[in-house]
Amino acid sequence: MHVIKPSVRGQSLDPQGVETVSPLRHVQSAAHGDAEGPVRSLYVHIPFCSHKCHYCDFYSIVDTQDRQEAFVTRLMAELSALAPLAKGSPLRTIFVGGGTPSLLRVDLWTRLLTSLSEQFDLSEIQLQAPETEFTVECNPESVTPELFDRLVAGGVTRVSMGAQSFHEDTLKRLERLHTPGAVSEAIEAARAAGIGHRSVDLIYAVPGQTTPMWRNDLETALSLPIDHVSAYNLTYEPNTAMTARLARAEFTPTAEEIEIEMFELARDLTTAAGFERYEVSNYARVGAASRHNLAYWRQDQWLAAGPSASGHAAGYRWKNTPRLDSYLGFSDEGLSMVHDVETPDARRALAERLMTGMRLAEGVEADRARADADAICPGLSDELDRVAAEHAASGRLTERRDGTASRWVLTDSGVLFADGVASDFIAAVL
Amino acid sequence: MSDAPLQIRNFSIIAHIDHGKSTLADRLLQLTKAVSEREAKEQLLDSMDLERERGITIKASAVTVMHEHKGQPFMLNFIDTPGHVDFGYEVSRALKACEGALLVVDAAQGVEAQTVVNAYLAVDQDLEIIPVLNKIDLPAARPDEIAEEVEQVLGLPAEDCIKCSAKTGEGIQELLDAVCEKFPPPREPVMKQTRALIFDAIYDDYRGVVLYCRVFDGRLKVGDKIRMMQMERTFQLTELGKYTPKPTKVKEVGAGEACYVIASIKNLGEVRVGDTITIDHDPAAEPLEGYEPPRQMVFCDFYPATTTEKKGGDFEDMREAVEKLALNDSSFTYQAVHSEALGFGFRCGFLGLLHMDIIQERLEREFDLEIVQTAPTVSYRAIIRGKGGEHVEVEVNNPADLPDMGSVEQIMEPICKLEIMLPKDRIGDVMKLCMDRRGIFKQQHFVSEAREMITFEMPLAELIYDFYDKLKGITSGYGTMDYEIMEFRPDTLVKVDVLINGEPVEALSLITHKLKAEQRGRALLTKLKKQIDRHQFEIPLQAAIGGKIIARETIKAFRKDVTAKCYGGDVSRKRKLLEKQKKGKERMKNVGSVNIPQEAFMAVLDTGE
Ligand SMILES: Nc1nc2c(ncn2[C@@H]2O[C@H](COP(=O)(O)OP(=O)(O)O)[C@@H](O)[C@H]2O)c(=O)[nH]1
Ligand code: SF4
Repeated sequence: MHVIKPSVRGQSLDPQGVETVSPLRHVQSAAHGDAEGPVRSLYVHIPFCSHKCHYCDFYSIVDTQDRQEAFVTRLMAELSALAPLAKGSPLRTIFVGGGTPSLLRVDLWTRLLTSLSEQFDLSEIQLQAPETEFTVECNPESVTPELFDRLVAGGVTRVSMGAQSFHEDTLKRLERLHTPGAVSEAIEAARAAGIGHRSVDLIYAVPGQTTPMWRNDLETALSLPIDHVSAYNLTYEPNTAMTARLARAEFTPTAEEIEIEMFELARDLTTAAGFERYEVSNYARVGAASRHNLAYWRQDQWLAAGPSASGHAAGYRWKNTPRLDSYLGFSDEGLSMVHDVETPDARRALAERLMTGMRLAEGVEADRARADADAICPGLSDELDRVAAEHAASGRLTERRDGTASRWVLTDSGVLFADGVASDFIAAVL
Repeated sequence: MSDAPLQIRNFSIIAHIDHGKSTLADRLLQLTKAVSEREAKEQLLDSMDLERERGITIKASAVTVMHEHKGQPFMLNFIDTPGHVDFGYEVSRALKACEGALLVVDAAQGVEAQTVVNAYLAVDQDLEIIPVLNKIDLPAARPDEIAEEVEQVLGLPAEDCIKCSAKTGEGIQELLDAVCEKFPPPREPVMKQTRALIFDAIYDDYRGVVLYCRVFDGRLKVGDKIRMMQMERTFQLTELGKYTPKPTKVKEVGAGEACYVIASIKNLGEVRVGDTITIDHDPAAEPLEGYEPPRQMVFCDFYPATTTEKKGGDFEDMREAVEKLALNDSSFTYQAVHSEALGFGFRCGFLGLLHMDIIQERLEREFDLEIVQTAPTVSYRAIIRGKGGEHVEVEVNNPADLPDMGSVEQIMEPICKLEIMLPKDRIGDVMKLCMDRRGIFKQQHFVSEAREMITFEMPLAELIYDFYDKLKGITSGYGTMDYEIMEFRPDTLVKVDVLINGEPVEALSLITHKLKAEQRGRALLTKLKKQIDRHQFEIPLQAAIGGKIIARETIKAFRKDVTAKCYGGDVSRKRKLLEKQKKGKERMKNVGSVNIPQEAFMAVLDTGE
């Protein structure tokens, strides 16, 4: 755990008695000057779930102690401590993720939304100005019309629905609790409540799932009133129950060829339905890409609230403590205890821009990357060009002219090798 | 004690492991009152922990005690020997210092393979042998049957066996009497010049090199300027002494006695076990016979496991450790090597497999090193046709060093004489195992109603691949084996090269019999296929003999290298993952553009049986 030792005041509630202080103090002072613009995005993490799905490695807990209220109180203090970093500018994107945000009680949502509008300027979001978004992640089994009404009143413009599949077998495999029918009802309810943008999450390559089943999932999803689909290849994350079961050979994972077939099917069916792939696993109708996620992938700045939330501002990256206990038990004038702080570093920033940029259909601005590389170390851009040329030669990457700018973009077949290309760029820069 | 002239007896105890050699030695010492009760609890002749743990005595040492027998004073010199025939050379040089040997056999277990091989060594040295049946206190003891076994297998009359228990002390007095009465005294000096045989040497951090000697002619005195006859070096003798078993200094030692010698010798490289010590100003004309350097028969490489960032440092740590070990084990050899695949390390030579295991374990335990060990190979000799057509014999301790097969006239390999003691009903299976390993059947010997002994000649190379484990498996643990290297013999041996993505990988090449080449090659490729990750391109794996492909495999290209999620805003996590992947690849060896993990270099061990 990386803890920055305090040079500033801080009230320690850390059980070890170590006085710890949030690096946000450093971010605050770094952001104090005007070199860094205001932070325009905010992520809020709600760590509660009604059941821990065995494939999931997000930080969430099944709350048996009824700590929702204490959590919201603590969260509000954190939001008020973070607010000055927006420097009075209107926020453009808010994303409330989890866990299962829809599991938060409606009265607590009211307090949270009120607090957000009091602490931050939500005017642009409320006007639904271009490039703005206020997303809340929901699970089909825990939404109610009452909740949607409350969210709309609080300025929420978008829901991301954890559908995963419309097949009972697949849902069972994933340990998801809802029935296939619940998804369309939930999407319908969101629309009726006036939530303008609706997205569903789907998972493929689940053991037992066949390509026709996956086709059926996609077709069902695309028949709903939505403008966005995230289609994720099931990933065996370390330290999850599902990965342990895989290691014990309790089931057979999907073959690579089938995974590719499923990936291509998702691309083809969404395209036919008028969607475009804008990231490895994300498809949207024109103008409906997630602004908040794009802020991550374009390496903009964002604030982070709630346990395990990660933020990026003034060149710093940090992650809040991932445990609810220590989140509730520590406060540095509202700021959270943090882990894994990374201080500003031009190399790292460039490496990360290349890494996430490679996953985007828009790719990475090549000339800007070259200039940044040479500013770090003259000649470093040659290294980038070498990697780009290597992958261009194997047909994975192209340099696309786009007016005066040129961009490095992965080809249709190259998308499947995004990690390999990214790690080569990272190795060249770091 | 009486005024009768002092009688001297020099003898060793030889036994199969666990048959009670150390316990018996302690018991004998105790009876001669050299050791107190408390001291008797510890096995005095063994010194290193590791040896004790494995129940093996690696280092020979000598203990001298005074004893009275029938009113006559006796000086008894116990010369300890290593129990395992990997250390056969050490055993025989220790036996050179003796006139007699107690051959200890567990009265419940019976004669084992190691008993036989050890007995042969003693016979070779013309020693008087007293067979001892130990552990007669055990309910399962069958001394009369085992005495028959001794007669059957070793040709020593059953009624000569002395029955005793090192545990209860029963029969020990009788044994001591036999030592005094049956073992011959040392031979008379044949000249007045001094000749002493160095039968062991150890390195001690405090005293430097300590030699163990047996004086045959003349005498050694503190202050003598001594000369090593073969090494042609001189040293000042500063200390003489005996272990009684506590080290006790003496001023001089006469013919027939054993002692330790300290003479400001800094390291073991300056002396040779088997050399003869004489006095510089009045040297003997001829050394004692019997010097033969220990021969390393098994070789493998040790590399530091590059798990830490400090790459060079690991190698330096290893060098230091290896040098230290060599200081007190002169039969272990090392030479710095660089492998394309594994970086800098050492090619080490051992007397046998057990010796190799012990050294590896000591490096890891005593020096806290993490080691990558390559598959062991034996030492080959090859006859090479030179440019002018002349023939040259070269030693090949690493298959990679073998010149192109085109210029190789002949390859010779070490052959051992293998003794296997086994339950009768398993003979068929064991015979088959031996034949599969290119063994040549020599004889079958009746041991008892239930057991037989079979003798094979077998290439050492076939023994070093899990032969012992297989034997134990077939005989449900009852089979025992031991071997002795006999000679080098030519056979149709070939070098199998391994090509990964079309490029030969030296560290993976192996020498094997022509008839087995395909099987070994295929097994190796199957293993490699499991251990090498898929790449973005297809990787052909081939095994070849001099350009001719004998086996092939293919590692299919992966068609996908992308994770579904970017972990939301946790960009650092994703970046670190990719960095780690890249680092992992750096630690691997690149052959062309293929990354090969270190474990793959052990794949050579697989026999494909
Ligand atoms: N019952 C019994 N056990 C013995 C006797 N002699 C040795 N042992 C045991 O046999 C084992 C091996 O003895 P050890 O002297 O270490 O054998 P070494 O490997 O030949 O030196 C030990 O557990 C001893 O205690 C004996 O006469 N009777
Ligand atoms: S509901 Fe979502 S966040 Fe909660 S455990 Fe399941 S997958 Fe993880």
